[in-house]
Amino acid sequence: MELFSELAEKVENGQHKEVMTLVEKGIAENISVSEMLNKGLVAGMNSIGIKFRNNEVFVPEVLMAARAMKAGLAILKPVLLREKVASKGKIVLGTVKGDLHDIGKNIVCYMLQGAGFDVIDVGIDVPKETFIDAAKAEGAQIIALSSLLTTTMVYMQEVMNALHASDLNDTVKVIVGGAPVTQAYANEIGAHGYAADASTAVDVVRGLLGR
Amino acid sequence: MTGKELLLQALKGETTSRPAWLPFVGCHGGFLIGKTAAEYLQSADLLVAGLKKARELYKPDGLPVIFDLQVEAEILGCRLRWADEVPPAVLGHPLAEGGNIADLPMLDETRGRFPVIVQALERLKKDIGADTALYGLICGPFTLALHLLGSDIFLDMYDDQDRVLAVIDYCAGICIKSADIYLDHGADVIAVVDPMTSQISPDHFVQFVTSAMNTVYDHIRARGGLSSIFVCGDVTRNLEVMVKTTADCICVDEQIDMARLRELCRAEGKSFGGNIKLTSVLLLGDEADAKMEALDIMEKSKTKGFILAPGCDLPYAVPVKNIQAVADMVHEEYKREVAKTLTAKIADTFDDIILPDYKSANTVLIDVITLDSTSCAPCQYMMEAVQKAAAEANTLCYIHEHKIKMRRGIGMMVKLGVKNLPAICINGEVKFASIIPDQRTLVAAIEEAAGES
Repeated sequence: MELFSELAEKVENGQHKEVMTLVEKGIAENISVSEMLNKGLVAGMNSIGIKFRNNEVFVPEVLMAARAMKAGLAILKPVLLREKVASKGKIVLGTVKGDLHDIGKNIVCYMLQGAGFDVIDVGIDVPKETFIDAAKAEGAQIIALSSLLTTTMVYMQEVMNALHASDLNDTVKVIVGGAPVTQAYANEIGAHGYAADASTAVDVVRGLLGR
Repeated sequence: MTGKELLLQALKGETTSRPAWLPFVGCHGGFLIGKTAAEYLQSADLLVAGLKKARELYKPDGLPVIFDLQVEAEILGCRLRWADEVPPAVLGHPLAEGGNIADLPMLDETRGRFPVIVQALERLKKDIGADTALYGLICGPFTLALHLLGSDIFLDMYDDQDRVLAVIDYCAGICIKSADIYLDHGADVIAVVDPMTSQISPDHFVQFVTSAMNTVYDHIRARGGLSSIFVCGDVTRNLEVMVKTTADCICVDEQIDMARLRELCRAEGKSFGGNIKLTSVLLLGDEADAKMEALDIMEKSKTKGFILAPGCDLPYAVPVKNIQAVADMVHEEYKREVAKTLTAKIADTFDDIILPDYKSANTVLIDVITLDSTSCAPCQYMMEAVQKAAAEANTLCYIHEHKIKMRRGIGMMVKLGVKNLPAICINGEVKFASIIPDQRTLVAAIEEAAGES
């Protein structure tokens, strides 16, 4: 349908006002909200995510697209809830204790939301207890940890230890990312997944949740 | 020629006898003298002590007086949060909280931490400035604008371009003031550190950053100073626009292909620097990793207008021996040759090289692993010591020299588990590595082995 591709294109171009208009038009015309979500908003975010990963676009363009996606999602959400469109999964996301960086974490948040996941953003400088408590309270399947500093990435190990000591050990998986973090480090601390960038984070989450 | 002269020669794009060496000792200087980053970055005494220690340990050609991109932001009203092992982080963004440029505080050398920095710079200039180039690091206009505006700057680049341009322009003015403070008090080079430009496209770089940066570089040049642009982050796509700025030197992090940067810089008559891997090699790797990494970069970068440096500010507790290993690669040809063989051994499993059956031999077998005793002095002394001790020992022994210039020698080194050269193995065991024992010790070791066999 032309509306879906137009929605995807407007999301990708970061045209938030146009996205809002299109979503409202779709709802007024009784077009499937889950299709508007998946074939429109999610498709647009996927496309910008691939371009971001390929270095074809940069942070400003992703943030513009994310704003457009969120504007559309804000209108769709009440209808989605009413029609009980199932979430694809829940993720608790935050930057670990001692680290105040949020740009990368926010982009991962937008990408995951854009892909249809529920994200509980627990913010920056987050202690291990908060990650575990939020995952318990929300029934999350994944905890996603971000760190921009070599000195704070070691805290990811503490979160892993806290998870092992909790009763979530068998049910919740952990993914890690951020500038100094590598696949080797993820393996070393026993994380379930590593994402080199925000777009990969979506693929890793999909892989871990099998959807 | 002093290290400083060599570094300045490299910065001007000239060929040097070896690569210039610039370890970015920031808060790591605090680690070297047992102080936290917060203590270190706020005290002239500690900055001087940490950098003098770094000079002693790492034999650098240049050092940054302070590596902290929050110095200017703090003066302009950004709230900081201090930490023990990293530079402070900016908490509040005055222009995102309703402030206007006109309301921001003044910046001069009496404000914020500049009195501390000026004092440290003047003392370092006097104490080590004759042979060590001193870098004044200033926060680049785009990163400073992000400190002031917060991450809204990214959306405003589309929504309110005039405002973003005005803030970046203002920040370039701040950069010039900071550069002047450093130059007035004896800094040799000004590095404009602008990591957040790695997050924008080449078009946005040209639209928002190039002209602001060039006013800073042109000002530094007019004052007779040298300048460098330094961006950590993946700037592969921005390299072309970075080399088109008027900076003298382009410094990058580990994600950049140095061979490509070298070509781009050569075309523009610029020097370039980088890009030792900070985490996987310097922080988490060992000395062999550090050596191989340094050699690889030196090989790609050659010696025309090149400065060897880490990809960014050294992590607080980076192992000292790893940075010393890099310094060895810069300064010592012998160690460089040895390390090259380490690189070669990786691809080879040496299945065809079989060690003798040491246990069933009825004599003592001594393997001496060397670079080559005819051309390397420590190797020669070690061989002589072994021959003398063997003659003196009250037992029959056979001595074999294995030169690692040949594949078989490397194979023996690997199979015997030798890590440092030259080394003496007696009956298949590493007994002395990179140290020549005194005669009595060596004779005793040989006789002890004879008693066991």
